[in-house]
Amino acid sequence: MFFHIVLERNMQLHPRHFGRNLRENLVSKLMKDVEGTCSGRHGFVVAITGIENVGKGLIRDGTGFVTFPVKYQCVVFRPFKGEILEAVVTMVNKMGFFAEAGPVQIFVSNHLIPDDMEFQSGDMPNYTTSDGSVKIQKDSEVRLKIIGTRVDATEIFCIGTIKDDFLGVINDPAAA
Amino acid sequence: MEKGGKGFSLPTKTARKSSLKSTTTKQASLKGKDDSSAKSKRAMKVQFDVEGSLGKFETPLPKGDSSKWGKGDKTAKGGKGSVSKPPPPLELKIEQELPENVKCMMDCEAADILQGIQDQMTILSKDPEFKLPPSFDRGLLYAKRVDHYTNPPSVRQVLQTLKKYGVSDGEICVIANVCPELVDEVFALVPSLKNKRSKLSEPLKDVLVELAKLKKSTSLESQMKSAEAGNPGNVGGLGVVDL
Repeated sequence: MFFHIVLERNMQLHPRHFGRNLRENLVSKLMKDVEGTCSGRHGFVVAITGIENVGKGLIRDGTGFVTFPVKYQCVVFRPFKGEILEAVVTMVNKMGFFAEAGPVQIFVSNHLIPDDMEFQSGDMPNYTTSDGSVKIQKDSEVRLKIIGTRVDATEIFCIGTIKDDFLGVINDPAAA
Repeated sequence: MEKGGKGFSLPTKTARKSSLKSTTTKQASLKGKDDSSAKSKRAMKVQFDVEGSLGKFETPLPKGDSSKWGKGDKTAKGGKGSVSKPPPPLELKIEQELPENVKCMMDCEAADILQGIQDQMTILSKDPEFKLPPSFDRGLLYAKRVDHYTNPPSVRQVLQTLKKYGVSDGEICVIANVCPELVDEVFALVPSLKNKRSKLSEPLKDVLVELAKLKKSTSLESQMKSAEAGNPGNVGGLGVVDL
């Protein structure tokens, strides 16, 4: 899910950036530093939407660097256990399938795929019901539920399930 | 986030291990039950509500003793047949997990904001070194793909009426993102609402009718529409950084 959140960060700025454009330099450095990072608490920082407040700078002892406390608003994306997401299948194998929802990777193990769906190998590996009416393959869109998350320095990885009511394939690229 | 750094906290773990040792389904299902109750003590909020308790404790059982999933004929699938844990009622607890200065956004609102930022970037970015990170593009792509509605502010307005029945912001956003058609669908996907079922069913029905009106008809049409409409600007008075 996407969130709007206010975060704070101490930015160190080199004296060469001081002057009329100080604030602009500060903001662009903040964007470079923060956007795309990820933490377990907040998830992915997708974009900065505004600066709330830039505090008074403090000169670091021994260097010319100045530290500014910056409060900024940003859009973050974080998956939650129990959340329902629509994701695109990226890879299918006999262990299950991988899907992607925004910057987040989700793995759905074959234990968490309904039992009436069997793995079919071939050029386009897929999970299909015995009557062939439902098929999960690469690029299928599935609605899944997040049951576990793991956060890396640069990535969030989730375990999902489609073995529940109202979960499963939403649209099938093969049928279109 | 997870305590065991390396693995996921899959509820199946203990159930599977134990059922390998003892293959009788009865034991396995018992074990599975234990597992879920231990889990519920630790992490899940089990509600002993008049309505909720019946549904909560009776539904997992038939799943647990494998009649529903038809496991019997699947023994060849290497262990799959022996997973007999009842799916614990996994509840969404966004409010508890996030700090206070957080506002949940519906995907459609996020799509508008991110699109606005991207449009500004193409105009304002003079710094060739500065590039939006890949997670931004993926986020935008995702938000656009799952954006089911024509007008995010009115979606928010419609769903806001559920707040007085005790539906949290997080739950409202999940409902909006899932874009459900049936009342049962909502309760199945957002189990934390189940204990409010009696008073929520009616207003929820009305809300879903309203939501259906706001839905984009087809994806192709919506693409054309959004191309025509251009950038709808910022939602909820959120500013975009000037560079």
